[in-house]
Amino acid sequence: MALPYTIICSGLNRLNPAKSSSGRGADNNAIVAEGISKKFRIPKEKKLTIFEHLTGLLGRGANSYDEFMALRDVSFTVKHGETFGVIGPNGCGKSTLLKLLAGVLYPDSGRIQINGKIAPFLELGVGFQPELSARDNVYLYGAIMGLSHREVERRYEEIMDFAELRRFENMKLRNFSSGMYVRLAFATAIQTNPDVLLVDEVLSVGDESFQKKCEEKIGEIRRAGKTILLVSHSLPMVRSLCSRCLLLNRGEMVALGKTGEVLAEYERMRAGGR
Amino acid sequence: MWIFEYRELIKILTISDLKVKYQSSVLGFAWSLLNPLLMMLVLYLVFSNVFKANQDNFALYLLIGIVSWRFLAIGSSASMNAVVGKPSLVTKIYIPRQVLVMSVVLSSLISSILEFLVLVPLLIILGAGISPYILLFPFIHLIYFLIVYGLSLILAALYVYYRDLNQIWDVLIQIGFFLSPIVYPLSTVPPQYLDYYLLNPVTALIQMYREVLLYHQLPGLRNLALSLAVGLLLLAAGSAIFKRLERRFAEEI
Repeated sequence: MALPYTIICSGLNRLNPAKSSSGRGADNNAIVAEGISKKFRIPKEKKLTIFEHLTGLLGRGANSYDEFMALRDVSFTVKHGETFGVIGPNGCGKSTLLKLLAGVLYPDSGRIQINGKIAPFLELGVGFQPELSARDNVYLYGAIMGLSHREVERRYEEIMDFAELRRFENMKLRNFSSGMYVRLAFATAIQTNPDVLLVDEVLSVGDESFQKKCEEKIGEIRRAGKTILLVSHSLPMVRSLCSRCLLLNRGEMVALGKTGEVLAEYERMRAGGR
Repeated sequence: MWIFEYRELIKILTISDLKVKYQSSVLGFAWSLLNPLLMMLVLYLVFSNVFKANQDNFALYLLIGIVSWRFLAIGSSASMNAVVGKPSLVTKIYIPRQVLVMSVVLSSLISSILEFLVLVPLLIILGAGISPYILLFPFIHLIYFLIVYGLSLILAALYVYYRDLNQIWDVLIQIGFFLSPIVYPLSTVPPQYLDYYLLNPVTALIQMYREVLLYHQLPGLRNLALSLAVGLLLLAAGSAIFKRLERRFAEEI
């Protein structure tokens, strides 16, 4: 197993092992989020050129966009080995939160710290090239997930077995069905051997038997003491997997605590007509 | 360090960039070499007949200038698409985004090295010969790489926000071509402007390439120091600007 190291998630140099000065006391936390807020700018008209920016200055002045608070002052911690759920209605900020944790987005304020190697499963198969063979895509996707050529080589057999795609390893990806596509992606991504897994409803793809296999794999990872942050609409799944939950609504924290209590709160919120 | 951590991805992206560049036609690679040669021929005919340039080995003089210039011109222009051209790698997953710029500039670097390699037999054929000073070429090219990479970081980041930057940059590259001693000798620059003129790091680089390849001598220390200083400065400034602008990439792309 890779040595655990700290990533200070500034979104800038996430892979630099952090100096052990500041976060020693919080070492049993895998994810620390402190007062994070994210504001999106929605331009009234999209300005994409210098020309438009210059002519815009002559017009109405600078403030030509609306602001939308996707997340407001969200704080929580996830302990090592914990499976943590994030739930809430559509548009509550779940995906934004996940993208912030993954480093795709950068918070306007607040601090995010992730201790350990992180694997963001926001979307599977990012960067897959339809014109390449399944084998080449495994290497490409592995590289995107930060694996070296040798590491992928060592795990290649396992990936193909798990995806059940050995027969098709030389086939071009564009001939794959969407199920095969996702299987290949999941099998590769899971091989990154992360300490912290961010999972965004990706398990709702593939056929039933593969879904089951994925859930088993997740369970296996969970038992191996890895940290999982799960964003899901499937309340039964959250109930069965997560020990603690965060409920978001319109970018704000509504409840944080034991899964049962948070789910009850969610039911009340929905019954109350949002 | 992201370069080490993501070396595999950098390698794959660089190779695929080169493949796209050269695979599009059978003549793909040949074209990329013919282009500077044909340009040299045109400029040679124009400048040796119309302007009566009487530089020794004018053809090689021109060719070294053109091939040097192409690294900056092509590398920086291509880099603008490095981030914008790979939206899914920016918005759907986290990778250090410098990886994207690095791989595009590396692919331009390899193209440039290939062009210089073709120059070597021409040095012999056209009578200039080669000398051990050619061994200094990699060091000069490394400095040049720093300059192009630093500049590319800035351009790639700005291009995410300002999509007409490539138009402006095209014009600036055109101007730069004539502000560098590519088609004319340095001696034609009016002396009162010479001090400013020599601040151009590409001028320093072109002079050094000519020194080690054509004139068989050590590169001037002033040029070496100037280009290295500019290279390190651009690398630092480029990295800082890129890191700052990178924060909103996923929203703006």
